[in-house]
Amino acid sequence: MARLAACGKNGGRLDSSVMQYCTACQKAPATIVIMDLTEGAVTGSQHVCAACAEQMGVVQQKLPPKFSPELLEDLLGGLKGNKPTRPQKSEACPGCGMSPTEFRSKGRLGCPRCYETFRHDLMPLLQRIHEAQSHRGRLPARVAQPVPAPEEDRSLAELRRRLEDAVRGERYEEAARLRDDLRRAERGEGAKS
Amino acid sequence: MSKGRRGDKPPEFRPGAWLLGTGPEHDIAICTRARLARNLQGFRFSPCLDEAEARDLYGTIVSRLQKPGLPDALAVVDLESIDELERSVLVERHLISRELAAKTRASGVAVDPDESVALMINEEDHLRVQVFAPGLQTEEVWRRTERLDNALIQRLPMAWSEEFGFLTSCPTNTGTGLRLSVMLHLPGLVWSEEIDKATNVAQKIHLAVRGLYGEGSRALGDFYQVSNQVTLGRDESQIQSDVFLAVGRIVQWEREVREALLRGSARTRTLDRIHRALGVLERAQILTSEEALGCLSALRFGIEEELLRDFRVADVNRALLLSQPGHLQRHTRERLQPEERDQRRAQLLREVLGCTP
Repeated sequence: MARLAACGKNGGRLDSSVMQYCTACQKAPATIVIMDLTEGAVTGSQHVCAACAEQMGVVQQKLPPKFSPELLEDLLGGLKGNKPTRPQKSEACPGCGMSPTEFRSKGRLGCPRCYETFRHDLMPLLQRIHEAQSHRGRLPARVAQPVPAPEEDRSLAELRRRLEDAVRGERYEEAARLRDDLRRAERGEGAKS
Repeated sequence: MSKGRRGDKPPEFRPGAWLLGTGPEHDIAICTRARLARNLQGFRFSPCLDEAEARDLYGTIVSRLQKPGLPDALAVVDLESIDELERSVLVERHLISRELAAKTRASGVAVDPDESVALMINEEDHLRVQVFAPGLQTEEVWRRTERLDNALIQRLPMAWSEEFGFLTSCPTNTGTGLRLSVMLHLPGLVWSEEIDKATNVAQKIHLAVRGLYGEGSRALGDFYQVSNQVTLGRDESQIQSDVFLAVGRIVQWEREVREALLRGSARTRTLDRIHRALGVLERAQILTSEEALGCLSALRFGIEEELLRDFRVADVNRALLLSQPGHLQRHTRERLQPEERDQRRAQLLREVLGCTP
């Protein structure tokens, strides 16, 4: 049997609608759920506070973040400012006229082009929602033959996907190399690998 | 394929998938549903569409759906041609969302005669494909959905990119656009107060737990919908197996607590609760929709656990549907004030269940 500990968002409570107290000390609000796993299936769970969880030795305080959107942002930081074809952050989407403020307040995109226009805001959002930033799964291209994306865009997307994978897998040397490849590819110099 | 005209009544459908009370794990899993979010190239997404574009888009989709060769025979119901009451009937049958029912511009739904397929047109996305099957059948439902999606992709130029997959209006649906959900009846977990624990565990593994009518709705009558939250970065078969395994685990958990509720001293309390619910259904003269759902849930539990022998699950499911305000008013063929509705509901439920006190 294995044990798995999960924390509420930002170390806060587990569920905003249900206040639960720690089952160990009965005093502090529970912020961690410990699940017992047998052959991958959850066979039991216990809600505890951070202090009790630490005492029980199931969690360490302040674990270094394995992967965060910020880390990826930092890595991608060098890419910002060298995308002359991308619209500025404050500009409305050329496809539908949606403004960045509108996108942020509604949380909805206005057209397919918004995915590029609001890329800067969108990527961390996708990471937060899905813990991923690129698609794995069916595409119409493999079903019918619609107009394919230009070859160049596809290789850029592939490089970005590999970069994300490398960062997530904490293979930072590979990530740095991929970042340089991506930078070169975006300048139209072609990747070297 | 036929197209509803203005003023037409929506066609009378046979009982939908969730009413049958059949399929794998049917004692707990009522119905499995797949939903795909799709948008067309060349049109802005719904939040930015103006009236004329919405009409143009609606016309385009309906005309392409009429091309032969779709795996399912679909009839289009033009929502502008039906009134609020008929729209609420469609919501109660899970064929359209409450959001679509509230739209005031060109929109519609294409439904097959078995109510196992319903395509919503002009909802939050241009097209919302829904496929239903009774019981826990995630794999079968995904296979049918994929076949239908393939046929739709041949007819309609979908918006997509290599990087983000299918492009949707809300980033929560980006990628596969697939939301696979199973409607579960969990009286055991609710009665033994384990439901919050089950909900928390489900949320930790990125599953959403919602009420009977989806987002924001309450879990009336111990009915819950469990679905995947992540649509990006996992492919369709991974999503299918995630939901299947997690729901299987919840089903097993529900069975265990049901067993505990029927053992030792708990048994009498459980039987008392079921028989009290039956007593209310047999005798009450006024029943709110909430109270009715609670009683029907207890009755369903009693039948599934073979504690009550004179009732059928299919009748309980039919009663669940007919006790909803839209169906009740359509059945009685008149608009009713809430108090009149509660009286008619008590009467109708006795008829449907064949209760003779």
